[in-house]
Amino acid sequence: MMKDKIKVGIPRGLLYFKHEVLWKTFFEELGCNVVVSPETNKENLNKGIHYSIDESCLSAKIYMGHVDWLRNKVDYVFVPRIASYSKQNQTCTKFFAMPDIVENTFKDIKILKYNLDIANGKTERAGFIKLGLSLNKNIVKVLFAYRKAKYKQLENERKQTKEQEDILEKTDKIKILIVAHSYNIYDKLIGFPVQDYLKKLNIEVIYADKASKDESIRASYKISKSLYWIYNQEILGAIELYKEKIDGIIFLTTFPCGPDSLVNDLCIRKIKNIPLSYILIDELQGEAGIHTRLESFVDIITARRLRLCL
Amino acid sequence: MERAYLGIDVGSISTKGVVINDSNNILAEKYLWTEGNPIQAVKNLLNELKTQLNDNIKVKAVGTTGSARKLVGTILNAQAIKNEITAHAIGTTSLYPYVKTILEIGGQDSKIIIMDDGIVVDYAMNTLCAAGTGSFLSSQAKRLGIEVDEFGTYALKSSSPTKIAARCTVFAESDLVHKAQIGHKKEDIVAGLCKAVVNNYLNNVGKGKKIRVPIVFQGGVSKNIGVTKAFEESIGEKVIVDEHGHLMGCLGIAILARDSKCEQDFDFNIKDMKFETKGYECEKCSNNCEIIKVYRNEELIDYWGNKCDNGAQ
Repeated sequence: MMKDKIKVGIPRGLLYFKHEVLWKTFFEELGCNVVVSPETNKENLNKGIHYSIDESCLSAKIYMGHVDWLRNKVDYVFVPRIASYSKQNQTCTKFFAMPDIVENTFKDIKILKYNLDIANGKTERAGFIKLGLSLNKNIVKVLFAYRKAKYKQLENERKQTKEQEDILEKTDKIKILIVAHSYNIYDKLIGFPVQDYLKKLNIEVIYADKASKDESIRASYKISKSLYWIYNQEILGAIELYKEKIDGIIFLTTFPCGPDSLVNDLCIRKIKNIPLSYILIDELQGEAGIHTRLESFVDIITARRLRLCL
Repeated sequence: MERAYLGIDVGSISTKGVVINDSNNILAEKYLWTEGNPIQAVKNLLNELKTQLNDNIKVKAVGTTGSARKLVGTILNAQAIKNEITAHAIGTTSLYPYVKTILEIGGQDSKIIIMDDGIVVDYAMNTLCAAGTGSFLSSQAKRLGIEVDEFGTYALKSSSPTKIAARCTVFAESDLVHKAQIGHKKEDIVAGLCKAVVNNYLNNVGKGKKIRVPIVFQGGVSKNIGVTKAFEESIGEKVIVDEHGHLMGCLGIAILARDSKCEQDFDFNIKDMKFETKGYECEKCSNNCEIIKVYRNEELIDYWGNKCDNGAQ
């Protein structure tokens, strides 16, 4: 008799938006069924708030809501620990802690994880091998799955960068760069209303996280050499890379994000000559305040552009 | 017959309206409290404006701005509905064409607008927190047992303002009580509050912005001379407060309504119609959107708030 496929649940939150292809491909190559929780809605948010401590950021709360949705629907929930990509930087502490938080909050959930922490000698490849072996898979198959997944992930990132850069060259529309973590800008509840409203105002939305990550990190040194948080470096560098091509910048962040509050503040003080706006979203946000800010920001940019053209 | 244009600015605390003619002269003006009921406030406002106008003046276009702009714009069938930042900038430049910096503190919002050659080039607005805005000052005035209108003159009496932590309304309140209990004089506390509002504004809303002259200070709080003085001390430059400072938003939106070139005769009798709104949480999907429906004489004229088509009807 054929054994049922292992069902792996991936919460649609936080780093899912960065590593979607890598994670899905890896599990699928190993013959698992991948279940991703649906787009964020108010119910996820309310559940997430219920299962989180107050001090958690909105994005992490929403993540907990997605984990909750996957309960009893899958064999394992996939919650990796991603701490550092080199000795010089690290990620936000919530990514260190997430597997522990999830395991301690939901006692009925079995989690799958890998540990990525280069500063302490834990590579992604070693992490994925361990992860594959824990599912009783053959090591050759695991290595193959990881290689294929990694290749597809990078290929997808390159494609996104290329597509965006083509748009930057071709479009005549007003271009606004959104500097935000991918788990914020692509979330249905957090970033989607912002994207959607800007598009209604006929704006070409440019995403900082789609810029080439290596180039972006290098470019971020021009803004500051000591930003420390790699995910902020990845998105900030896009400002330097694209500054000649964009008309304005929006920093979009969730309350209370520690790294963003430091890094964005620094940028607001340092970046001159490009209009910028700062939008902070919390769990009680009404849309009216956001619309006022976006509409007026677009008015400014439009007027400025008209004058620059004269 | 003289052509005229109506601009209405419905804010969280106050409702403002002007009627202007083709050369920006103010033919009628009124400022009153919103009192949590924007529809009634606008009806009262229309009533007041109508009595100030003579019969040969015909309102040809209407504009609305402020936080209730959409609701009121729908009811009045407005030709221009615009955010308050743009409206304020246009209103202020119509009186001060060379203005470089507009400081604005309203009931719940505070903003800074940087202008160059009559065009907004940069702006910032308070984020989640309403600390240091008009509602903060009026709640502190209440606590101190003085009228908010007297706040400024009280502040001017002080020679050594008390240091108050105004970063957060909650902390400011406890700090204020504490300072009073240990013996600080009332006028010093009031002056300290004005100073704290200004410091808070310059550090939050104004951070990273270059404040250049001419500087215009407007919004409800600009009526508070204590705050104006604190601004001048902090910035070290003269700060202009126009007697019509509270009307800049509605002036700007009246100009925008005129420039929209969409004209339609406006009937003041709208103030006698029955308008109702119904707000409810849609339960057709898990988004639970907050939907607002607007009725005129029991007939649905508009609705909004739905994220998907399920919420339409």
